[in-house]
Amino acid sequence: MLDIDQISVRYDGREVLRDVSLTVKPGQIVALLGANGAGKTTLIRATNGSVEIETGEIWMDGKTIRSLSRRETAKKIAVVAQENETKFPLTVLEFVLAGRFVHGGAFGWETDEDLRIAESVLYECDLTDFRDRFMNELSGGERQRVVLARALAVEAEILLLDEPTANIDLAHQALMFRLVRARCREMNCSAIVITHDLNLAAEFADKIILLKNGEVHAQGEPREVLTSENLQSVFAVNVLLDTNPASGNVRVTTIY
Amino acid sequence: MLVAALVLAAALGSERLSFFDLTEQQRSILFDIRLPRVFLGACVGASLAVAGAALQSLLRNPLAEPYLLGVSNGAALGTMLAFVFFTGFEFARPVFAFAGAVIATVVVYRMAKSRAGMNVERLVLSGVIVTTFLSSIIVLLTSLLDAAKLRSFTFWLLGDLSQATKSGFYLTLAVVVIGTIVLSSQARALNLMMIGERDAFDFGVEVNRVRIVVFGAAAALVGTAVAASGSVGYVGLIVPHLVRLAVGSDNRLVVPFSALAGATFVVLADTAARTLIAPRELPVGAITALIGAPLFIYLLRKN
Amino acid sequence: MLVAFLALIVAGCRSEEKKAASASESVPESMRTVTDDLGREVKIPQKIDRAVSLAPNLTEDVFAVGAGDRLVGVTTYCDYPEAAKKIQKVGDTLNPNIETIVALKPQIVLVSTASQLEAFSKILADNGIAVYITNPKSLDDIFKDLAQLGDIFGTQDTAAKVVGDLTDRVATITRAAAGKMPVRVFVQISKEPLFTIGKQAFVTEIVKRARGESVTANIETAYPNLSKETALALAPDVIILSDSPDNQEPNDAFKDSPAVKNARVFRVNADLLSRPGPRLVDALEQIARDLDAATRK
Repeated sequence: MLDIDQISVRYDGREVLRDVSLTVKPGQIVALLGANGAGKTTLIRATNGSVEIETGEIWMDGKTIRSLSRRETAKKIAVVAQENETKFPLTVLEFVLAGRFVHGGAFGWETDEDLRIAESVLYECDLTDFRDRFMNELSGGERQRVVLARALAVEAEILLLDEPTANIDLAHQALMFRLVRARCREMNCSAIVITHDLNLAAEFADKIILLKNGEVHAQGEPREVLTSENLQSVFAVNVLLDTNPASGNVRVTTIY
Repeated sequence: MLVAALVLAAALGSERLSFFDLTEQQRSILFDIRLPRVFLGACVGASLAVAGAALQSLLRNPLAEPYLLGVSNGAALGTMLAFVFFTGFEFARPVFAFAGAVIATVVVYRMAKSRAGMNVERLVLSGVIVTTFLSSIIVLLTSLLDAAKLRSFTFWLLGDLSQATKSGFYLTLAVVVIGTIVLSSQARALNLMMIGERDAFDFGVEVNRVRIVVFGAAAALVGTAVAASGSVGYVGLIVPHLVRLAVGSDNRLVVPFSALAGATFVVLADTAARTLIAPRELPVGAITALIGAPLFIYLLRKN
Repeated sequence: MLVAFLALIVAGCRSEEKKAASASESVPESMRTVTDDLGREVKIPQKIDRAVSLAPNLTEDVFAVGAGDRLVGVTTYCDYPEAAKKIQKVGDTLNPNIETIVALKPQIVLVSTASQLEAFSKILADNGIAVYITNPKSLDDIFKDLAQLGDIFGTQDTAAKVVGDLTDRVATITRAAAGKMPVRVFVQISKEPLFTIGKQAFVTEIVKRARGESVTANIETAYPNLSKETALALAPDVIILSDSPDNQEPNDAFKDSPAVKNARVFRVNADLLSRPGPRLVDALEQIARDLDAATRK
């Protein structure tokens, strides 16, 4: 269980996050929404320890993130972020195996177990055919899936995803979310997903957090949070809300 | 391959040695002069290649090389200062070289750091600035020295293994072995850092610690190599590339194999340096540059 | 713009100087032609009062022929004889300071082939400064240079006397050496890296005359750097060290050589060995003495 307790983060003297609190229970998928610059990525980065928290604490299984070593943190929390271009030839399998680093030793050759997990993760993400291909041969969307696979290979308790469906085609967008949900159900892990797609969030998230200017504007179940007032306030758009006939979840339509 | 190169190097030289029944004098040539030099060459080659491989991975830049980053020149300047001010102490040279290498590395690193984090382009740019600056200081120093010292330095700056001594060899050997082991231990972390520092951090690498350890080890390796034999260029650049072409980018393979390949390369280059215009000698750095530069251009084009 | 303006002013001054120089040149009878070591025809005035020497051996030559008082500029390395130290310095052999030279208004500049005067030949010509290039490669060349300089400075008698003395001294040595077995000598110019004298070095001839045989006499170039293996294999009987700070001991490769084992290591002043001038004969005499001592031990 992840407990973010009234954290503030400052960057260059500017307060980027103020007094943000959030609890994520095991098995939960939380969607993190907000306009650009609202502090979503900073919240993710604070959670995995790459950004320093000024006040407040983040607790995980009774310990603060601060008190854990880098390795321990990375074992519990895996990140899916925008992918960097590699200048070195790296195969998809090698890339995904990086996710097993935290489970290995210093000279660290991969164990059979590591390989099995990597292969199975590739299978889950529909990437088995790409196993031995080089990363720079793949399209942007395909690479994003590999990035997800790598995070899944960690077998962490918490998955943090920063716009994981940015360059992905429609078919695979749904696949990514389904994968995350399936993983969270199977392993009882949780996920925090930053996305701009309100409807995907409505479909897959158990809880939605709306961030505005570094503060939590609203949090709760999708139907509670996705209201016209909230969306007008946070995104400055007019929306029409109804129910998705196929799933029964709230559906957001922007009025242009 | 290394063993073959070593045997070849031992067999060739400016004096002919018979295979069996070495005379007293020939034995002396072989053991007092030729072999120490050959083994030193192997150590220097291994040091430079391993340092190059590690730096390239750490900096995510296939062009990173001890020379380009100012590390070599820092070591060279350190050695020169040791030579000019502490001529008596033989150990002053590697110590000062190491200090010079570390200082140069730190300066380059600091210059390259911006708020946005370490940008590799900035790093290479800072490296070039520092290396050219140090170059001019070295030139300034050489022009202030008198003609006698000048001659010995000019030769040494180009990479000269002729001043191989047994004690110098032991030190370089120790550093190369320890350095390679240390860098090999960081190999997997380097694999992750090759993808990106942020990614490496996210997946459990203690980025700062790895940076310090790798820079420190690389500086030590380059420092001792330069103190022993001057700036032997291109080894740190070319050898890791060739090794990667053969075994892939996994640093757990690239680092140790670079050591072997670097040793072989320099041993062969030095054998050429010793035999091409025998009984005169060429600086080994000239040979590595002659082979290295066109090879590098060829590799660039292939990509 | 400012730069262009300044350039015009400077050019104007230069042309003034040129006119002044050519004014003195325009009287043909006071000029004559001499041929230098490179075969160049050099035009110089009959009487030379102001000369610049760009090599220590040439400075010594000029003093030897009695014209030292006419030197107005020498290099920073010109330290012999004592009087040379007081003469204005114009840089060193490789990189002379052209402005200082021109400012001294010499009539002739004496140069060794190592000097980088090529770039400045035009400026010197414009200022009416003659350039005389020397390239002595042997004792005979040195004697020829001395005679030439005597001619240039009008001190032929002194020059002839000096050459005569030197020739006698050389002859004495040569006679003494005749018929005796030559000693195998290694001349070490620098210890690390190991430099010695080769085929084209004038010292090789000196060693020969002094009843020695340079073991590196057949190696190409004047100052080859030698592989230690070969050094070890050469096993010289005598080692001569050119006495400079980086050359106080024989290279380690010689530790088992007859020279080191029998303590036949001699030092000769580095200047004597590196300057192809009158003191080369001093070096010859010293080497001859050392080799004699070595064979008597």
